[in-house]
Amino acid sequence: MSSSKLITIFVVLDIGIALGIVYGWVIDPVQFTNVTPDLLREDYRVDYVLMTAEAYQNDFDPDAAARRLALLGSDSPASFVASALEYASRNAFTQDEIQALQNLLTAMQTYQPGPDQIP
Amino acid sequence: MTYLNRNTILQTILALLAGFGLGLAYSWFLSPVTYVDATPALLRADFKDQYRTVIAASYAANQDLARAQARLSLLGDADPVAELSAQAQRMLAEGEPFEKVRPLAQLATDLQQGFVSEPFTSTPIPSFNTPDSPQNTPTATNVLKVDEGEITFTPLPTILFEQTALTPLAQDTLTPRPTFTPTPGPGTPFALASQETICDPGMSKLMQFIFMDSRRDQVPGVEIVVTWNEGEDRFFTGFKPELGNGYADFVMEADAVYNIRIVTGGAFVPDISPPVCTDPNGVEYPGAILLTFQQP
Repeated sequence: MSSSKLITIFVVLDIGIALGIVYGWVIDPVQFTNVTPDLLREDYRVDYVLMTAEAYQNDFDPDAAARRLALLGSDSPASFVASALEYASRNAFTQDEIQALQNLLTAMQTYQPGPDQIP
Repeated sequence: MTYLNRNTILQTILALLAGFGLGLAYSWFLSPVTYVDATPALLRADFKDQYRTVIAASYAANQDLARAQARLSLLGDADPVAELSAQAQRMLAEGEPFEKVRPLAQLATDLQQGFVSEPFTSTPIPSFNTPDSPQNTPTATNVLKVDEGEITFTPLPTILFEQTALTPLAQDTLTPRPTFTPTPGPGTPFALASQETICDPGMSKLMQFIFMDSRRDQVPGVEIVVTWNEGEDRFFTGFKPELGNGYADFVMEADAVYNIRIVTGGAFVPDISPPVCTDPNGVEYPGAILLTFQQP
């Protein structure tokens, strides 16, 4: 096989690889249907934290709130609430919503999981 | 076309296909697109359940039905009400306490009927016929001043101040509707108000329950235990909100006899079995039965 032929094959191979990548990344990328909550977009995560804060305003159950926040990942519950509070301050959330988040943050900062909550 | 040319074309095509395959393997398996901004609709089923639970808990707190509806729509459920009801049923079947399940059932019910059925405050404070400003709350000093005639109130508040029996204003009272009580107190047992036979082939062997309070409002969250020779089943009212908050049903066996115990309220109804109905052709079939319970 001549060298020019080899070069042609390698060029064509490269073109094929490029086409395959474009197809796999752009045209028909892998569809994720069972994602975990830590992959949620920031505004959805913040809304989830806000819902937890609103529920906490009603039941004052820090265990339930911590369990709900644990869904978002392995960081401490307080860190999720702090991030949400920062987002809320930047994005003109209502005073009631910010207050609810603030209350939840205070609760989570002082929260000590009971023996049955520790893995 | 010569053999050599055909061979070259074949090699080119093979190289292209091989390259395409390699590229595809890389983009699908070795380095697939990474989701970092997923929507709730893409969540795994168990996370969706948790998300729904939090939506319902939040709704129980703020009673914002439109917002709860918007949040539920993010999950991409074809029928959010059915999903809520199904999840509530699943949780009960898994032994979760009703108090934990109730917000889901309540949200499903409210979405079904299109309005908030539970007042925002569970223990509403009635408004009283007092002057507008709170500093005019009747104190000993105020009463003394009124007695001395130093302050001229309108006659009605003055009388009320002297009597200190403040009358709630009907138009200002927060709760024209009763406070939501999922489990009536032990002092208010349900009694069997009626027992009807329903001859409808489509409802064959169905035992239906409707629970109402003394104002004839349907009551969700009533626990019912049905026992028969071979077993026992227990369930709650309110998980089919499309049929009513106080509705529940159970499918009977044609030849079995059932005893019904209402856990909440303590009523007991023995010896219930499917009634015998006859279709237009004279063929007998097991009918349905509707048991209506009401608090006195």
